[in-house]
Amino acid sequence: MVDAQKDVPFKSAQVEALVVMKIVKHCSSTFPTTATGFLVGMDSNGVLEITNTFPFPTVDVAVPDNQQGHQNDASSIAAAAPRAKANIVYQNDMIRHLKEVNVDANNVGWYTSATMGNFVNLSFIENQYHYQRDNDKTVALVHDVSRSSQGSLSLRAFKLSTEFMAAFKEAKFTTESLQKSKLTFRDILVEVPVIVHNSHLLTSFVHQIPPPPEDPEISLPASLDDIKRQPAQFPPHPSFDVLDLSIDPFLEKTCDLLLDSIEAHYTDLNNHQYYQRSLTREQFKITQWQTKRKAENAVRLAAKQTPLPEDEWQRLFKLPQEPSRLEGMLNARQVEQYSKQVDGFTATVTAKMFAVRGNLLPE
Amino acid sequence: MSRFFRGGDDSSSESSSDEEDLSLSEEETTTKDQQSEDESSDDFDDDEDESEESSDDDDGDKPKGLSRFLLDQDSSESEEEDVEATTKVKSAKDKRHDELEATITGIQNGQKINDWHLIANEFDKLNRQVVKLQDGGKAPKSYIKCLVQLEDFMNETIAKQKVTPKKMNATNARGLNAVKQKIKKNNKDYQEQIDAYRKDSDAFMESDEEEVPVPKKVAKPKFEAFTAADEDEDASGFETVGKGGKALQFTPESIFKHLRTILESRGKKNTDRQEQISIMEKLFKVAETPYQKIRVLMTLVSARFDLGSGGASSMPLEHWKSAEKELGVLLHILEVAKDHIVIEGAEEWEDDERAPTLEEGQKYIKIPGSIVSYIERLDDELTRSLQAIDPHTSEYIERLTDEGSLYNIIFQGQLYYEALQKDASLEVPQESLNRIIQRRLDHVYYKPAQVVKILEENSWKQVSSSLDSKITPRSQSEEAIQLINTLCSYLFENSEGIIRARAMLCQIYFLALHDEYYKARDMMLTSHLQENIANFDITSQILYNRTLVQVGLCAFRKGLVYDAQNTLQEICGSGRQKELLAQGVMIQRFHQVTPEQERLEKQRQLPFHMHINLELLECVYLTCSMLLEIPLLAQTGSSPDVKKRVISKTYRRMLEYHERQIFTGPPENTRDHVMQASKALAAGEWKKATHFIHSIKIWDLMPSTESIKTMLAKQIQEEGLRTYLFTYAPFYDTLAVETLSGMFELDSRKVSAVVSKMISHEELAAALDQVTETVIFRKGVELSRLQSLALTLSDKASALIETNERTLEHRTQGSANAFSRKDGRGGGQRGGGRGGGRGGARTGGGPPRQAGGTQFTGGALGAAVRG
Repeated sequence: MVDAQKDVPFKSAQVEALVVMKIVKHCSSTFPTTATGFLVGMDSNGVLEITNTFPFPTVDVAVPDNQQGHQNDASSIAAAAPRAKANIVYQNDMIRHLKEVNVDANNVGWYTSATMGNFVNLSFIENQYHYQRDNDKTVALVHDVSRSSQGSLSLRAFKLSTEFMAAFKEAKFTTESLQKSKLTFRDILVEVPVIVHNSHLLTSFVHQIPPPPEDPEISLPASLDDIKRQPAQFPPHPSFDVLDLSIDPFLEKTCDLLLDSIEAHYTDLNNHQYYQRSLTREQFKITQWQTKRKAENAVRLAAKQTPLPEDEWQRLFKLPQEPSRLEGMLNARQVEQYSKQVDGFTATVTAKMFAVRGNLLPE
Repeated sequence: MSRFFRGGDDSSSESSSDEEDLSLSEEETTTKDQQSEDESSDDFDDDEDESEESSDDDDGDKPKGLSRFLLDQDSSESEEEDVEATTKVKSAKDKRHDELEATITGIQNGQKINDWHLIANEFDKLNRQVVKLQDGGKAPKSYIKCLVQLEDFMNETIAKQKVTPKKMNATNARGLNAVKQKIKKNNKDYQEQIDAYRKDSDAFMESDEEEVPVPKKVAKPKFEAFTAADEDEDASGFETVGKGGKALQFTPESIFKHLRTILESRGKKNTDRQEQISIMEKLFKVAETPYQKIRVLMTLVSARFDLGSGGASSMPLEHWKSAEKELGVLLHILEVAKDHIVIEGAEEWEDDERAPTLEEGQKYIKIPGSIVSYIERLDDELTRSLQAIDPHTSEYIERLTDEGSLYNIIFQGQLYYEALQKDASLEVPQESLNRIIQRRLDHVYYKPAQVVKILEENSWKQVSSSLDSKITPRSQSEEAIQLINTLCSYLFENSEGIIRARAMLCQIYFLALHDEYYKARDMMLTSHLQENIANFDITSQILYNRTLVQVGLCAFRKGLVYDAQNTLQEICGSGRQKELLAQGVMIQRFHQVTPEQERLEKQRQLPFHMHINLELLECVYLTCSMLLEIPLLAQTGSSPDVKKRVISKTYRRMLEYHERQIFTGPPENTRDHVMQASKALAAGEWKKATHFIHSIKIWDLMPSTESIKTMLAKQIQEEGLRTYLFTYAPFYDTLAVETLSGMFELDSRKVSAVVSKMISHEELAAALDQVTETVIFRKGVELSRLQSLALTLSDKASALIETNERTLEHRTQGSANAFSRKDGRGGGQRGGGRGGGRGGARTGGGPPRQAGGTQFTGGALGAAVRG
């Protein structure tokens, strides 16, 4: 549609309040199971406008795969939903319907829920790759339910970097290729700033919400007529979540997740070490074979016979496959994510703590 | 063609006349090609026997069967033969001579064309033929001539070889080498004759002609007589007939001759050892002088040992018994005849005609031999046969009684060597005495004192009262501990290396067996064996393991649960007790064992009477582990670093397995008992736990069962109290000591002691109020979940840093690590320090408790098995 700016990458994502509300509702209703959904909108002038969203139907998909009987089924199916075939059909149907009512209905990405930022995994990458492969202007919105419950909304937008896209396309994550492309774990995801946009109608509605009364004493209505004439206007409920002082649960959870990550790291490390050991062994065998063959050839040459081919080892020996480094990279990215989270958390908490302490100190 | 060859093949022609012609023709071709048939000609007696028969068969052969069709060849051959037969009636001997000549011509031909391959073949054949033609050690003249010629030619060729650059071809060169070596070996035997030939070849050859026909009749009757004699002896045993056809006369004079023939045939194939032994037994009867007797006995004993050699089979029982008796007699003779000594490295007496006599200035008649080796061999054979016998039969016990007489022999041997050593001029090596004392020690160290005492008394009774031992005087033999002590300290002073270590281990074992825990432990620790036991041989490692286990059991009997567990951990925690103690071969699951290894392993196995009861061992180990682990489990609770603090992995695994079971029936075996007791103890039901432990039947095997049971009950009470305090401390503010003492039926003083100990080790965050007699718990000392998580995280992080450092170091080969290492380590230490500080507050109980224990952490564990 927007052919002129096709090549211009978007700089930020502008999310409608409606979309935010829908995502929050969907995600928190399914919590702790992962929830995923589809985003529609359009991009104009380097801004990706996300105007509507709908969740992926989980039930329909779950039925055929139910036989696995896995405990994590709901989550894993939901996480894989954006790639599921049935969902693509569903998605196209929805877009068609939306077009009929004249809404900006372009595929602009998908969203997922997360707990304490534990979304950096292979499934996430594959989903985003699935979208971004067809259309560069797609984004993954991540709504962190756990963090949002602590007061401030946590909604972040990510896309894959172009270098990573290229690497993932080749599905080559060996040490060699990584050295060549200089791809590090920091280069996997690019975060896009998120702007929440309200329609004018909504803004004006928000402005109509009465402020809290200046006078703490509210005069009681004298008669029923009074109530009819002047219905009571309640001020919006103030949110005290922000003032939550319990630090432990958050840090505990993060610690747990970090420990998990370290475990994963060790598993990866072991895999790699195993690979290296077997590689060395195999290489040693090859060298042995080569020296043997060389000696043999020298003898044959002395006896005026045709030498045997020396590159037969490629056929005889099979070098072990190097395990993909992607898992490790993602793990590193995940750890970084956690650390940043703690960092950000302490910033606000320290402020809170000072506030509390200031209050407690005798004046 | 010779009759001889015919005769050789005749057995087959008799058996089937159809094949006969075939074999005949084959025979002819082979003889023509001068390819001798080794198999048939090798076996000497056989051929001779059959050649007699064949002479009759020969005539009957020809007209039979299909041989008619081969008439041409056959008749021509036989005609030729007939011609020969008519012109000159040749004996078998002559025919052989002809053959010999033919072979020699072959060699000469080979020499002409320089074909060493051919020469080698012919030469082999020649040598085979010549054996049959020898009479009285004299080879035929023509043979000698050929030898000399061949040798000259060979030397010439070799000389040529060195000069000319051209190489011989491979087969030729090989042939030359073969001939060269054979000539060297061969010519030694005929050196005399060769020399004679070289001196005057013509004269030598002339004398030849007359001599040849003379011995031709000798061979046959000789062998007939021999075979006949053989049969006679087997059948009835009238009179023993010797090889020469004359009766064997066993006279004192001929003893040495007989001995020599026997000695020479030793180790060769086809020697009838049984027969030799019976000959020697007879010889011994006629032997008169001590010298003769000693010589005969020594030969006889070694001949008996030869019976048992080879493979895993042990010596036959009756031979062992006689060998034992004969050794006893030998030692007795040596004791009585003091001027005869058997000593290693003495010169061999070559003269068979007369016995050596004492010459001027000589004190002893020295006879070469080694008493200690005989004794060792006798001991080994007993062990071997004990290994082979099923230990649960009465046969085993019967066999075991022989150990007493063996011990006597060892003892007498020791006395003998001591007597030898008194004379400094003999220079008896210290080693023999060490070896024999070591053997003696090996027989007593694992026995209770009473048994040793009986053994000693018996052996002293055996020897005459005039004798006394310097090392182990008669007066001191009453006390077993004293005996062991003197034996061990003697070895310790006079030997080195492995024997010394073994002596030490034996003494420790004995001490541990007799409840001298502290002495045994101190010796174990001062010996420093645990550091270098891995370098010793496997039998010593097994002894080390046995000693270790025995010390552990001793600690348990003393009620030192912690020490016992710690000591037994290494052996029992591995799950390979059987192998480590050499009390059974484990089934190897993962890798195949070669038969060779298996055989070796079987040889190492200890005989049953030396075994340490494995079930008892396991029972002790598990009980100790229970007493240590249950409070520990209660203490660590569910904190994330539980995994780190495991005392006994084996026990933990069993406990887990037990807990996973859905239905647990009443306990059946030892393990069940201990597991159910553990469960009860963990739940605070100490009475039930005590009951379970007490109902284990195997305690009866321990000496003073009752005292051990009371000790265990006391331990269970205390550990139950500790477990209770660990588990329920968070739920109390104060606890009256009286309540606790009522609950666990312990003295209130004892309760206070246990509580104070826990407080001082910082296992319990509490204080003891002595006025009100209460335990007051402090709150908030426990770590929060976040804190413990943070600690774990910091540990993990520092581990990660270390891994990174190592990788970096590896990558840079230690060149670029100066900075980063320092930095990294600092970080690691900070993290570790913090973790240790916090953790120490809670877990500090470990080290002080452990400090009292002993730590035998030798590396002998796996080495004993891996070999």
